[in-house]
Amino acid sequence: MRATGLLDHPFREAYAAKLGALPGATQAWVDGLRQTARGILNASGLPGPKIETWKFTGLGDLAKVPFGPAACAQDIDVRDIPLGVPRIAGARRIVLVNGVLSEALSDVIADPAGLRIASLKYLLAREPQTLKPILGGLAASGSLPLAALNTAYMADGVVILADKDFPGTTLHIISIGAAGSDPVAFHPRHLISLAAGARLTVIETHVGLPGQSYLANPVTEISVAQNASLKRYVMVADDNDAFHLAAASVSLAAHSSLDAFHLGLGGGKVRQEVNVSINGEEADCRINGLYALNGKQHHDLTTVIDHAVPHGTSSQLVKGVVDGASHAVFQGRIHVAKDAQKTDARQLHKALFLSKGPAVDCKPELEIFADDVQCAHGAATGELDPNHLFYLMARGIDRDAARALLVAGFLEDAIVTITDETVRAAFSNVVQSWLKRRTA
Amino acid sequence: MALIEINNLHVSVQGKEILKGISLSINAGEVHAIMGPNGTGKSTLSNIIAGRDGYQITQGSVTFDGQDLLAMEPDARARAGVFLAFQYPVEIPGVSTSAFLKTAINAKRRDQGKPEIDAMEFLKLVKAKNKALGIPDDMIKRPLNVGFSGGEKKRAEVLQMTLLEPRFAVLDETDSGLDIDALKVVSDGVNALRDPSRAFLVITHYQRLLNYIVPDHVHVMAGGRIVKSGGKELAHELEAEGYAKYSTAA
Repeated sequence: MRATGLLDHPFREAYAAKLGALPGATQAWVDGLRQTARGILNASGLPGPKIETWKFTGLGDLAKVPFGPAACAQDIDVRDIPLGVPRIAGARRIVLVNGVLSEALSDVIADPAGLRIASLKYLLAREPQTLKPILGGLAASGSLPLAALNTAYMADGVVILADKDFPGTTLHIISIGAAGSDPVAFHPRHLISLAAGARLTVIETHVGLPGQSYLANPVTEISVAQNASLKRYVMVADDNDAFHLAAASVSLAAHSSLDAFHLGLGGGKVRQEVNVSINGEEADCRINGLYALNGKQHHDLTTVIDHAVPHGTSSQLVKGVVDGASHAVFQGRIHVAKDAQKTDARQLHKALFLSKGPAVDCKPELEIFADDVQCAHGAATGELDPNHLFYLMARGIDRDAARALLVAGFLEDAIVTITDETVRAAFSNVVQSWLKRRTA
Repeated sequence: MALIEINNLHVSVQGKEILKGISLSINAGEVHAIMGPNGTGKSTLSNIIAGRDGYQITQGSVTFDGQDLLAMEPDARARAGVFLAFQYPVEIPGVSTSAFLKTAINAKRRDQGKPEIDAMEFLKLVKAKNKALGIPDDMIKRPLNVGFSGGEKKRAEVLQMTLLEPRFAVLDETDSGLDIDALKVVSDGVNALRDPSRAFLVITHYQRLLNYIVPDHVHVMAGGRIVKSGGKELAHELEAEGYAKYSTAA
């Protein structure tokens, strides 16, 4: 018997058998990680609606799709980066098709001094010792079911290692999902590790080609050492028939920072889960985001920020617009440990209804065990203010254009939290085109 | 024919009658002032002219340049040349003043079959008007009305009016919250637009504004009706005697 509330799923023995030997299988510790994860999957399945953190995002529909491993699909040939992928000037593009690094589509240039970029597959086969300290440590399989699924079947991914005081560059990881004639799933594992004082900007764009359903299940393990800072910008615009279940775990050392932005534009069912552990004093964590949904899209942004030590700061501003019969979920847990005095944690979620059909579920959770902290959270959902609409119309702007201006205005303060100007402009364009498509 | 013709206008809000038969005829080139105590329906009248929701028009008509104004959407009224300078301009975070101004200008130009305004031309135009109104140039970079002082909001309303060049402008308590210097600047802005083809309806509680924007006709409104009309001297009379006798008369 499986535990109550857990779902059966297509990722069992037959799935594993089709994959065959995975890279690194001869390494006992890698095999051990996979076995543990597979054990969790087999024992407990995928989280069902009775699991508190999965209450708003049901996986019942996912469990019914007969996914096969993408690595075994033969009829997929992606020759170009899809048009929906924003061009980020100056960023080096690293492209994965169905979770596997595509050299043909990636920019092939030499790594700058102090930075190493390699595929997980390569390192698992040739240099497993490089991975040992950074793989599987943070994304503890048990606490993140998505991470367990990924760990069980991880075969490739992007590994980024920035040396001490690396001055910074911008990388754009483009993930293309493409099912052929049958539904496929892929489980890329990305590792980002910044040594002390290093800086890095990583953009992750997830898109898909229309066709059969696919499941993108990327997991990213991030470690930011003392005084290092990472900017991470994630855009999920997968196909409307696709599932995207992502998890990232981040460890922040003293005086380090994570400046993240999560843009959610779809996918049929999307969950972006981010777990941050603030392990060093005076670390700063920003996770901002924006979602714009329509049709039957489902988007879930779930964050956990764990303030384990004193003097940490975290801030979150997440704004969304929902239309059609879409469903948005924001869950934001902030945990402030007993010792984490002088923590400053802020969170704000606001959603705007563009019609009567959508649903929004928001669950902020503050667990504060320290007594000398500043914590604030807020949540609001509503429709456009008729007084605002009237003011614009009274100046000759027609109703649709006025609404578009107001919706863009509503999202603007989320957009401006993107500190990288190039990325801000690119994401802003993406959002503008979403708004234009809507009113067109 | 008058530019704007209000005829026996009755308006209710949630079943309560606010305007009880207003008739007013304003010719192009004229400035009319409506004065009256608070709560007498002055702002209701301005909202009805601009087309705000939430009112029941139970009787009467408003004709603008021969068109049935009440049948038009607020944006169509504005593009036809009706402008309301709001008593309380709303703050709209996220929408930059310049994007808003440009969109409004272009909406009107599109209706007139003109091409969109060139970005440089727009900036030049706004700069010139800003100077006259004492508005700092960086104000248009800020979100619309957000964090503007009372005086800045009113100047911004007059800036919008200047840029949109309406044929009929209603100024709803534009003097409220202005110090004497701002009042003069705002009045100069309005006076600069006075023109034989253009009409104004100035709504105010105080006579003070009418020292700067000198009206051709003054109407006293009380209890939802126009109870007295006269020339500009009527304003001085009200200033001296107050509204008490009209309030009881209504």
